[in-house]
Amino acid sequence: MSRLAVSTLHDVLRKSFASLESSQKLWISVLAECSLLMVSLGNLAEQWRALCGVRISNTPLRGFPDLENRLRSKLLEATDTVLVKLNEKMFSLQSIRDSISNQVSAVLQLYEQNADSLDLLAVTERSTTTPSVADMLEWLQDAERHYRVQFLRRKTLLQTLRADDLQFLESAPKRWKSLDSPGAQEQITDTLCKVSFFLESR
Amino acid sequence: MSAVRKSSMVTGSGRKIKDNAADWHNLMKRWDKLNDEGFDVATNIVNLRRSQSDHLLLENSSSSSSSSSAQQVGGVSELEDECFKLQEVINKMVAVVTKMEHLMKLQQGIEDLEEFQFKGEGRKAPLFHTWNTKQFGAVSRVLFDSFSEELKLKQTILQELAHTSSSDLCMVYLSSWLHQPFIPTHTRLTLEALLLETGHRPL
Repeated sequence: MSRLAVSTLHDVLRKSFASLESSQKLWISVLAECSLLMVSLGNLAEQWRALCGVRISNTPLRGFPDLENRLRSKLLEATDTVLVKLNEKMFSLQSIRDSISNQVSAVLQLYEQNADSLDLLAVTERSTTTPSVADMLEWLQDAERHYRVQFLRRKTLLQTLRADDLQFLESAPKRWKSLDSPGAQEQITDTLCKVSFFLESR
Repeated sequence: MSAVRKSSMVTGSGRKIKDNAADWHNLMKRWDKLNDEGFDVATNIVNLRRSQSDHLLLENSSSSSSSSSAQQVGGVSELEDECFKLQEVINKMVAVVTKMEHLMKLQQGIEDLEEFQFKGEGRKAPLFHTWNTKQFGAVSRVLFDSFSEELKLKQTILQELAHTSSSDLCMVYLSSWLHQPFIPTHTRLTLEALLLETGHRPL
């Protein structure tokens, strides 16, 4: 009874870790794209700040009377474009988060369905190529929590940004960077390493 | 499509207007390329100026050596080179705007001819889809005015950029070059409308 349940769980666990591997790659690449957009945002904030620090009528640009308004318009437009792109990236991160969450809840559901036929030995038993069911469930839950928290924090930050709010725009790149969690990211990479033999075995 | 309208697209005013639209498109593409090129050079100028003034600060606070003054001379000639490059970009932009003026005048000529041909009553049917001939002239004027004003701004930036000590003002110059405040976004849409009308873009 136990062996069958473990075998069924193993199949689903393999699918989940395979999904985790591709999700992690996608997550990292989307975050890299966000970093570039944050650099653009920082540049635009610098330009806003410089424009605020200059009185056009005291400069050689005084011959262009409506220059300031026109430049503000352009900066607003450019900032808006970056914010829209960042929001699009959020959708990508959200769908990665949802995919992991769905996988993990499917695994947990299966575990619960089979809990009666799984004794302590079955869930803690491990070999050189196969980690224990308990460990694998824990690693998946840790990964799911990481993506869930990361998404929430980044989404919250983006919601504070508006194209016409210079203070928040200026601090955005730094605040975004501070959300990086290299430790947790490394842990996921580590997990995938630990399950690599398990994934290859059948 | 009537035979009359079809033939006006192949010869005469219709042909000229269609060719003008293609020319506008090519000129604006050339302008965009020059704008990117100019922005890179302008950024170099600002960076060189900044490192020059940093260097001067260092020199003033310590005793000067022959190697640092040689560096200074090198820095000045590098700055001159970049300013020369920017001048060349502006010269090419002047050529583009001159061609734009020519297109505008050609369009005016077509309008004047039509005025004469149809004795002030205008054509009975539009040359292409919906625009009357005067609308092409109006578009040419708007485009030419935008690019002329933008060129004046860039010429001012060229004159001032290497002599400006305020880093905020330098940033405003770079920002103005990059974002082209006198060429509003709808100018691109105006060009697209022109290309749609003259059949360069499918409807």
